[in-house]
This record gives sequence, C-alpha cells and structure tokens, in this order.
Amino acid sequence: MDVDTATSAVQVSTKHTFPELEIYCYLLVLIFLIDQKKYEEAKACSSLSIARLKNLNRRTIDVLASRLYFYYSYSYELTNSLAEIRRNLLSLHRMATLRRDELGQETLLNLLLRNYLHYNLYDQAEKLRSKAPRFEAHSNQQFCRYLFYLGKIRTIQLEYTDAKESLLQAARKAPVTARGFRIQCNKWAVIVRLLLGEIPERTVFMQKGMKKALEPYFELTNAVRIGDLELFRSVADKFSDIFNSDRTHNLIVRLRHNVIRTGLRNISIAYSRISLVDVAKKLRMDSPNPVADAESIVAKAIRDGAIDATIDHANGWMVSKETGDVYSTNDPQSAFDSRIAFCLNMHNEAVKALRFPPTSHKKEKESAEKRRERQQQEQELAKHIAEDDDDDF
Amino acid sequence: MDPKLVEVTQVFDRFKAAYTRNDLQTCSNLLTELKVMLTKFPSLPPLFQQSPNAVQELMIARDIYEHAVVLSVKAEDQDAFERDFFQLKPYYTDICGIIPPSPQEYPILGLNLLRLLVQNRIAEFHTELELLPSSALENSCIKHAVELEQSFMEGAYNRVLSARQSVPHETYVYFMDLLAKTVRDEIAGCSEKAYEYLSIADAKQILMFSSIKELSDYIAEEHPKWKITNGCVFFQEAKDSAPCKEIPSLQLINQTLSYAKELERIV
Repeated sequence: MDVDTATSAVQVSTKHTFPELEIYCYLLVLIFLIDQKKYEEAKACSSLSIARLKNLNRRTIDVLASRLYFYYSYSYELTNSLAEIRRNLLSLHRMATLRRDELGQETLLNLLLRNYLHYNLYDQAEKLRSKAPRFEAHSNQQFCRYLFYLGKIRTIQLEYTDAKESLLQAARKAPVTARGFRIQCNKWAVIVRLLLGEIPERTVFMQKGMKKALEPYFELTNAVRIGDLELFRSVADKFSDIFNSDRTHNLIVRLRHNVIRTGLRNISIAYSRISLVDVAKKLRMDSPNPVADAESIVAKAIRDGAIDATIDHANGWMVSKETGDVYSTNDPQSAFDSRIAFCLNMHNEAVKALRFPPTSHKKEKESAEKRRERQQQEQELAKHIAEDDDDDF
Repeated sequence: MDPKLVEVTQVFDRFKAAYTRNDLQTCSNLLTELKVMLTKFPSLPPLFQQSPNAVQELMIARDIYEHAVVLSVKAEDQDAFERDFFQLKPYYTDICGIIPPSPQEYPILGLNLLRLLVQNRIAEFHTELELLPSSALENSCIKHAVELEQSFMEGAYNRVLSARQSVPHETYVYFMDLLAKTVRDEIAGCSEKAYEYLSIADAKQILMFSSIKELSDYIAEEHPKWKITNGCVFFQEAKDSAPCKEIPSLQLINQTLSYAKELERIV
C-alpha cells in the first residue's frame, strides 16, 4: 500500500517538476523499502520506476538511472526471482547502448552477468560478455564487479592464468569497505592459484577481517601443499557445506589432480629411486589396482613436465633424473627477461592509469596566456629601454 | 484432441516401430518429417504460448527429441547428436515447471558430457557440469562421466578403460569405444616420454593390443620413430634442455635494445 500512495504522489507532481527529481524520489523510496525489508513492495516500486524510465530520454537522468537499475535487480534477487527480469534487463541494455549511455551499459552488463551466473549459465554469460561493446570503465565499482564475473567465467572454462589475473585485480581495486566482495574474490583467487599449481602465501589468509571466512580455504591449501590425498578428502568433507554454498564444490573436485601432482613431486625430489608400489602407498590411492594406476599417473606427470624421471617397467621402479646445472642453460636468462618485461609493463600501466584533476589543464592554459602577456610586457619594456638608450646618443 | 497432435502421434508411433526394428533409414526419414510438424506447435520453445494442449505438445516434442538424440548415437553421427541435444536442452532447463521431469533426462545429459569428453572439449564439459544441481551428481549416469573426466585428467587410464564394463546405459558404449582410442594415443604419448624402452609383451599390454601384429602395425602407422630391436620397443630419446654452448647473441641484442628503449622513456 505504501508504494501506491508514494509513487502516485510523485507522479502527480511530475507535471510541473523535473523528471530527474521524480527518478530521485523513486530511488529514495526504493532504498527505504529495501532497508525496511519490504521486498515485495520494493519489487513493485522498482518495476514501476523502470517502466517510467523507459519513457524518458534525458541524458541528465543516466546516472540516477544506473543506480535504479542496480536496486531493481537487487530487489528481485532478494525475492529470488532474478530470471523474471532478464528480458527486461536485456532490452534496457540495448536501449542504453543505442543512447550511448556508457554508465548504464556498464551497470546493466554487470547485472546481466550476475543474473546469468546466479543460475550458473556460464555459457550464456560468456557469449554476452564477449559480444557486448567495451569501453573505458567509468565507475571503479562496476569495473571491479566486471572483473570478478570475468574471473569466475574464466575459471569455469579452465583459463586459469587469465582468471587469476582478473580475480586478483578485482580484489586489489575493490574499496576497503567492500569486505564481502573482497572475501569472495580472495576465495576464488585462492582456488584458481591452487589449480595453477601455485601455493598462495599465508598473508593472503591472514588479511584483516577475512581470517575466519577464509579458514576452510586455508586448510584446503594446506592439504594441497602437503600433497596428502587423505587429508584433502577429509578437508573437502568437513567443509562441504561451505563449499557448496560458495558454489566452489566442483572446482575443489578438480583440485584432486593437483594434490596428486604435488605429492608426486615431493616423492620424486626426496627419492632417487622408488618402487611404484611405494608410490601408490605414499599417495594413498584407493583403487582396485593401485600399482598400475600409479604407473600411468607417473607417466602422465612425466609427459606434462611435472616431474623429471623415468620408469623402469621391468623392475617396477621410478627413477628420478639428476637435476642438471640450470645455470649452464638459457633458463635463467629467459626468467630474468620475463621479470624485466613484467616490471616495465607495470610501469607503463601505471603511467597510463595516472589521473589528473579535471581542471588542471585549464589552469596550465591560463598560465600560458599569462606568460605570453608577461613576455610581451617584458619585450615592450626592453624596447623602451633600447629606445631610451638610442635617445641618449 | 487437436488434429495436428493426432497426426504427430501417429507418425511418432510409426517412428517408434521402426526404431525398435533398428531400421535407421526409415527412422531418420520419419524424424525429419516429425521435426517439420513440430514447428507448427505454438507452445514449444522459443514461443512458449499458453495453449490448452501445451502439456501434451511439450511432452511429445520432448519425447521426439530424446529419441532423436539416441538415434544419432546409434547412427554414430556426432554432429547430429549435438544439434538434437541443443534442441532438447530447453525442455530440460526452461519448462520443468509445466511438465514432469523425464526419466531420460540424466542418461542423456550424461551422454552429452561423455561426448564433450571424447571430443576433448573440457571447458564446455565443465560449463555443462555447473548447470547440474548437486543432487544430480549422485545420479549414476552423471557420476560415471564425472569420474571418467577425473581419471582422464589424473592419468589413471586403467580406470577409464575398466569403466567401459560398468556403463550405466547401452548407448554409452559407442562413446566409450571412441574414448578408448583417445586413451591409447594418450598412453602412447606418455610412454614415449616416461620409458626408455619396453619389452614387446609389456608394450602390448600397456597399449592394450590383443596381438603383437596389431602393435607393430600401430607403431608403423602412428609412431614411425619407435624402433623394435631384440624383442624391445625403444622410444626415441628426448634430448631437450641440454647445456647450451652457444650464446644466442641476436636474441640478447634485441632484448637489450628494447630495455634501453623502455628506460629512455622512463628517464
């Protein structure tokens, strides 16, 4: 009921006020309703406001409208009916694109990605993302969200290196107050790094205010680091509820393979020769034919370059190769090169990202004019002096 | 009853009769006819119009596409499988509220996962997997495909092959056979790197050939570099990362010049 009276009052007054004011009032009412947990009313109010927005075409509203889009989607998310508004969001996005409302496009693209990812529709999300027009980001918050969604999509599609980059960037760019968002970013980033075969540093888990939320992931990292399948399984079981609610369960299933790899690497470093029976025992493989499994797993690890060894099939041994002198190869040189390239690239990116206050260039122009004036005065002065000099003669 | 619906049902009955007879040619002809007829139903995706016959129409359409998918497996046509599966998919995802879920749903989804695995489209495999609720992962058909993927990634190829004996559905055999070929190539690639040599008997066993003749044919065809001497298969030794004697001067000059250029921009 609240809504009806509130909105109709606003509509009456629109006849003789600015539409910006009207939209602003919608926004205030909407935020108020969400704050009061009246989600159904918020939903109705947001739908009305969006319908009204569609009839307005003023560039001055764009910023307010993008806020409104966000709360529109948020109120539907709170009532768990995101799928209903997908079509509407798509048409709004199309409208924003046609009107070159870049902030609106940015916001709506993120809302659509969120909408798709809510239902795990990664395929659709990626198709939309790759086809939507891209431009320089206007809002840092929206850009962070975009990076986070992009990281999630890439993780699912096994592009771990790119995923890691987006997720870490999202975590870094996010404002300090956005704790929940940063926790989410960190959770995903930890898993992606584990999948890449890296071990995240302890400081990642000890960040202020995140320690408790990241604890399951800390224990998981520990299990992967040691390479103990049994421990890994028990951690995965212990926190399965958390992993399920974070929707990272399927990713953790993928990690099993990395646990085996790490375990194998530890074994190959420690022993110069070990029987495959012992390898199977140390990896604690539970299968009907552990030795044959161990043999093929070792063979694959060798081919993928995870360990440097050979297998002696007749005796059932795995023989680690002597590590050669790395400094006699070109490896250090190329490693050094890639690090220098990274530093130079970082510097260039930083220069590109430098921002100046919007009016600073104007001041410079003014001062240039002033300088010209001053120079002119000086020249005149010099002329006078010269003339004076002439007069003296 | 709607005359169009009656007509479709009749043709579909003829299709099913041909299907049980394993008469693939007649089946595919009838299927084409059926698909054209389905386009006349307004309640099917993507229109989803509300009509009094909507439930029956959706049910029969889903049934037809399910048969089409299985038929394409029987005909061993992977492209047709993909097409038919994508036509079927909206029936599982978008209208589960209108008609009861199909008993064929999980077998067919599992079959699709297996197809993606065989075609080595792992990214799509995981994308599809994310769409399934966690309860679905307990289903034997889905579980089968998921476990296969895991074993495949780990390199436990024996488990992949032994899974053929425990297929949850007869249609899975076709893809499992395809998978066996992929697995053999993988094993050959791994063995090449992992072993210096293998006795012929061991090689035969590891590469899963029933006779030595097949093994030598395979080697001659796929890996001509392998040598068979004294009853052993010798793999070509890889000689990478040998200590380098030469200094790659041209490359170094290029790199140094680019550093100089970058530094000049900074200073």
